[in-house]
Amino acid sequence: MKKEIPAEPLSDESKRSDSTDPSEDEELSSYYGEDGEENGESGGESDSSEDEVSSLDDAEDRGTNGDVIKSVEESDSSEDEVAPRNTIGEVPLEWYRDEEHVGYDVSGKKIKKQARKDKIESFLAGADNVKNWRKVYDEYNDEEVELTKEEIKVISRLLRGKTPHAGVDPYAPYVDWFVWEDKAHPLSSAPEPKRRFIRSKWEDKKVVRLVRAIRKGWIKFDKPKEESQFHLLWTDDSNAADNKRHGVNYIAAPKPKLPGHEESYNPSIEYVPTEEEKNAYQLMYEEDRPKFIPRRFESLRSVPAYDMAVKEVFDRCLDLYLCPRSRKKRLNIDPESLKPKLPSRKDLRPYPTTCYLEYRGHTGPVKSLSVEISGQWLASGSTDGTVRVWEVETGRCLKVWDVGESVQHVAWNPSQERPILAVALGHDVLLLNTGLGDAEVQMRIKELLHVEESKSSEDTGDHGSAVRWFRHDKYDGIVLKHFKSVSTVEWHSKGDYFATVVPTGESRSVLVHHLSEKQTKNPFRKLQGIPVSVAFHQKKKIFFVATKKFVRVYDLESQRMIKKLETGCREVSSISLHSTGDHVIVGSREGKMCWFDLDYSSKPYKTLKIHQKDITSVSFHRTYPLFASCSDDCTAYVFHGMVYSDLNQDPLIVPLEILHGHTRSDGRGVLCCKFHPRQPWLFTAGADSVIKLYCD
Amino acid sequence: MPKHYRPPGKKKEGNAAKYITRTKAVRYLQISLQAFRKLCILKGIFPREPKKKVEGNNKTYYLMKDIQFLAHEPLRQKFWDMRAHDRKIRKAEARRNRDLADRLVNRRPSYKLDRLILERYPTFIDALRDLDDCLTMVHLFAALPAAEREHIQVGRIHNCMRLSKEWQAYIARTHSLRKTFVSVKGIYYQAEVEGQKITWLTPHPLQQVLPDDVDFRVMLTFLEFYEALLGFVNFKLYHSINVKYPPILDPRLEALAAELYGLFRYISASSGRMSADSHAIVSSGDKKQVEDDKMDTGNDESEFAELQHQVPANEPGALMHLVEDATAADEEDEDTKECKNLFKNLKFFLGREAPKDSLLFIIPAFGGVVSWEGEGSPYEEADEDITHQIVDRATQGHIFLSREYVQPQWVYDCVNARIILPTEGYLVGRVPPPHLSPFVDNETEGYVPEYAETIKRLQAAARNQVLPMPGVDNQDLDNPQNLLAEGIIDRAQANEAAEKQRKLAILEKQYHDELKMEVEGTSYSSLSSKNLEKPSEDVEEDTTADTDNIEEHALNLAKVSMSRKKRGILEAIQIHKERKKAKVDILKERKRKANSRKSG
Repeated sequence: MKKEIPAEPLSDESKRSDSTDPSEDEELSSYYGEDGEENGESGGESDSSEDEVSSLDDAEDRGTNGDVIKSVEESDSSEDEVAPRNTIGEVPLEWYRDEEHVGYDVSGKKIKKQARKDKIESFLAGADNVKNWRKVYDEYNDEEVELTKEEIKVISRLLRGKTPHAGVDPYAPYVDWFVWEDKAHPLSSAPEPKRRFIRSKWEDKKVVRLVRAIRKGWIKFDKPKEESQFHLLWTDDSNAADNKRHGVNYIAAPKPKLPGHEESYNPSIEYVPTEEEKNAYQLMYEEDRPKFIPRRFESLRSVPAYDMAVKEVFDRCLDLYLCPRSRKKRLNIDPESLKPKLPSRKDLRPYPTTCYLEYRGHTGPVKSLSVEISGQWLASGSTDGTVRVWEVETGRCLKVWDVGESVQHVAWNPSQERPILAVALGHDVLLLNTGLGDAEVQMRIKELLHVEESKSSEDTGDHGSAVRWFRHDKYDGIVLKHFKSVSTVEWHSKGDYFATVVPTGESRSVLVHHLSEKQTKNPFRKLQGIPVSVAFHQKKKIFFVATKKFVRVYDLESQRMIKKLETGCREVSSISLHSTGDHVIVGSREGKMCWFDLDYSSKPYKTLKIHQKDITSVSFHRTYPLFASCSDDCTAYVFHGMVYSDLNQDPLIVPLEILHGHTRSDGRGVLCCKFHPRQPWLFTAGADSVIKLYCD
Repeated sequence: MPKHYRPPGKKKEGNAAKYITRTKAVRYLQISLQAFRKLCILKGIFPREPKKKVEGNNKTYYLMKDIQFLAHEPLRQKFWDMRAHDRKIRKAEARRNRDLADRLVNRRPSYKLDRLILERYPTFIDALRDLDDCLTMVHLFAALPAAEREHIQVGRIHNCMRLSKEWQAYIARTHSLRKTFVSVKGIYYQAEVEGQKITWLTPHPLQQVLPDDVDFRVMLTFLEFYEALLGFVNFKLYHSINVKYPPILDPRLEALAAELYGLFRYISASSGRMSADSHAIVSSGDKKQVEDDKMDTGNDESEFAELQHQVPANEPGALMHLVEDATAADEEDEDTKECKNLFKNLKFFLGREAPKDSLLFIIPAFGGVVSWEGEGSPYEEADEDITHQIVDRATQGHIFLSREYVQPQWVYDCVNARIILPTEGYLVGRVPPPHLSPFVDNETEGYVPEYAETIKRLQAAARNQVLPMPGVDNQDLDNPQNLLAEGIIDRAQANEAAEKQRKLAILEKQYHDELKMEVEGTSYSSLSSKNLEKPSEDVEEDTTADTDNIEEHALNLAKVSMSRKKRGILEAIQIHKERKKAKVDILKERKRKANSRKSG
């Protein structure tokens, strides 16, 4: 810390300070303060008259002026400045925190730490000694230093932001050492050079560049003329073909929708939604909510500005340049043209249309129907445990057998000489003598239906007998006891064979019985799927087995599968054969009916989705080109199904009539439908225990 | 190996070659996305919907051909130049080289759109066909405030105003305005120019707010193209009526914001033959000479009479645009003639609150004379010849008995109906009858509003032909005068009156028949039997209901044998029909409720 203060002003001041009074100084100092301000304003110009006072200092320094000079003089000599006692240098003091000493003195001896004063001691020391406030603890040397008055003064001046020594004059007058008088010439007498008056090489280059740019028209100074940009663009349209850019690829943007009545400022009252409707809009999903809610204004002046005006135009802009465009073929079809050209139903008569007779007598849902081949008798089996035979034309109930168990299926022997009825119930199949026909027929039947006790089929092998033939004592017939419950019984057209279906019978689920021999055969060693229904071909030795998804066609002679028909249905419920044997219809539980042409493909020729509920039964007419389906939705459909002998012509299928009439009971509707063998009549059996006859 | 592996050297095929995604297109063209957007807007390139989206479903696809077309566009180079130029300016400014910066700013490269317009619209008809959006946008911007924040400059707003007024002046001048509709969104106009129906929307003349969620840069790019397009279209149209374009307007009128009127004056003054006519009028101010002039040119009496009728307006400008152009009239079609003569002998005056801009456009377009309150108007409110004053304010200062005070809606409804409607319903202070959209085909919509029927009957009456009232036979309603009066009565009353009339007519007819029969010598009994035949219709209706049922039955049966696809279409049609019907049902229900509230 060295303070260098010019010697001259100091000495000047020392001289003056001797000869001045304290009172005078006070005045001067105040004057000086004003002068300082003035000086600031006038930009540093100072008069020579004020020079004397400018070096004076504050009033409080004045009294000790002599001391100041002394101290300054002392400090001027650097050699007598006291070196610190400690010689450790500038190292962190915490290194010695745990030591007994604070460092080493010049001679290399340890400087011992002084004993710490506690608070009371220091307080007492403070109270005792008036000068205690001047003491400062020097951590480095571990000693207390008492500051002198001069030192405190220097500190206080520093704190006030002044120079540490009062003797410094910051505004000392400038002394110009150069003598200006009697100098006739400037410092250099050289003439002004030429280059001061001509362009530089670089300036020349710049000018050349600019001139060239102006000449070549790169730089133009006149503003471009505003000319009308519009002219006659489309002069004549003859050359339109040349600049035609819209090829096949161009798609014109669709025009915005024109406003309807509801957008009017004053729409008719029916276009304005009521408050309730508006509230209902709030409950809707955002997408479903109408974008525009019509409003009604009393007069044109009350219509406010439309706040979406800019937004809508903007959206349109976005649509125009962002929305992918593609050509869409809009179907503009007359619904009439969609309907297939079908022959008039009038030309397809006769077919059953109206309910003609009802056969009442059953007390439970009628499960199955069968019409005798002559068409005179109708047999029906019901879940109430009875089998009835009706006279078709009168509706008289001829006979009732109370078999005591829910009847699954009844089938009349298709042979005229054998008026035998096969009834499937539970595990049994009954062959009943209906007692029709003349005495000779009766005698032959009695003979036929005679069976010895417990004659069982032999070919069941090691499984135990699948079927046993018994005499039925009560009704004078035969009972075939199956090992499991029987669902269907179907006759061969000759009337000597019949087949029964035991759905849960696995490998023995389809059994063929020979009536005259009283024998049972299991034609399939293994059968895939659960059989639902079976059918015999009328003429050929072909056998149809309908499982849940497929209809398998077997040749009985060569004992192999000929064809597998894929119905595409989930669950087949019934099957019926056309009298030619080349066409099959299959009804399924999802309400679909499939028509198969056996010569055509294993896929259905036509699939008709007609019923809402399960199809329970389908049926072909023996002679007329008719077929029918009935379902649990309480309807029966009658179709015209013409099969042509010309193989090139597809069968014609025309829906003819929907027959209503049955009522639903217990979730079931119509359970069975059968055609009359000779007349275009249809019998339907309902779950409401009524049998109906529909005639044309 | 993926299934669609393409061996090296083999070109892309199919959709992969035909379409390109947006990102790839931008890369291909080596421009920024903004420049690409601008280029697409100006060139009218839009994305496509390829059948197979090779690069993914969430991409935007452009036709490769379109992108190649863009690649050959000189504008692309221009955009590059402009960008480089902007950089030069920025550089000069950063170096404090003001000279250079100023020079560069003045020399900014610019481009013209005429070639693009011709490319996009090879024929004038094409341009007209695509003018809807253009007009809507220009009219919207004419009503927007200039906003520095959104770079909407005052100059462009003024340009839009000028273009829209020029367009309106042409439409009014050629009387090709066909339909107008005041909606909540603004006022729709439909004009027919060269056989093209052009519809546009003008916002209501109120302060528009600029929403925050709108990118004005996109809109301004569109506007840039539309301004140029409308300018060229206007040029062509003005050229077709022998008027110089761009028109030079009377600065006085321009200052008074009556540009449209100024344009009318300009157009009439500059179309050739007409100017001669008007000169004659102005110079002499003598009706005799006008008459001579007219006789010379061989115009018919009625026109002359009309001209005379107009002369007292003492305002040459007002006259000029009323002068009939006889030669042009021959070329005009029926529609234009009808429009031209709708307000032929009517003189309008607009009140302060009436929508001045719109009415100043519509009324001259339909052959009327119009003035307004304020400076520069052709005639004062005190003019005795004024037939209709359009006001939208309940209180009036001085009421002239010689004229009718109607609400503005009357003008719009008259224009749509193409007849002068009775003014009773539109008098000041009343709630006017509903304003219906002329763009709706009521029959296909399935619901005919009540007032539409009234207007239909009024139209029929005006054409001196009788339309059957619903539920009324043809022989009634022979008096159009009665009908005209009826038109504004309530519908229920009208029906009642019609019923009465019908009964009277029937009685009258019966009387005539009897007389006739007496002359012929037939007995009364046969007549009564003849009359009795009528109710048989009702019976037939019953049977038709039955046949309906049968038909439905047959339809159901036919459905069975349809293919699944066709059945689906049929069901869709039926659903559509049902929806439509449900809408109509809602309307009917509301109507019924409103009626019951009114009566109850």
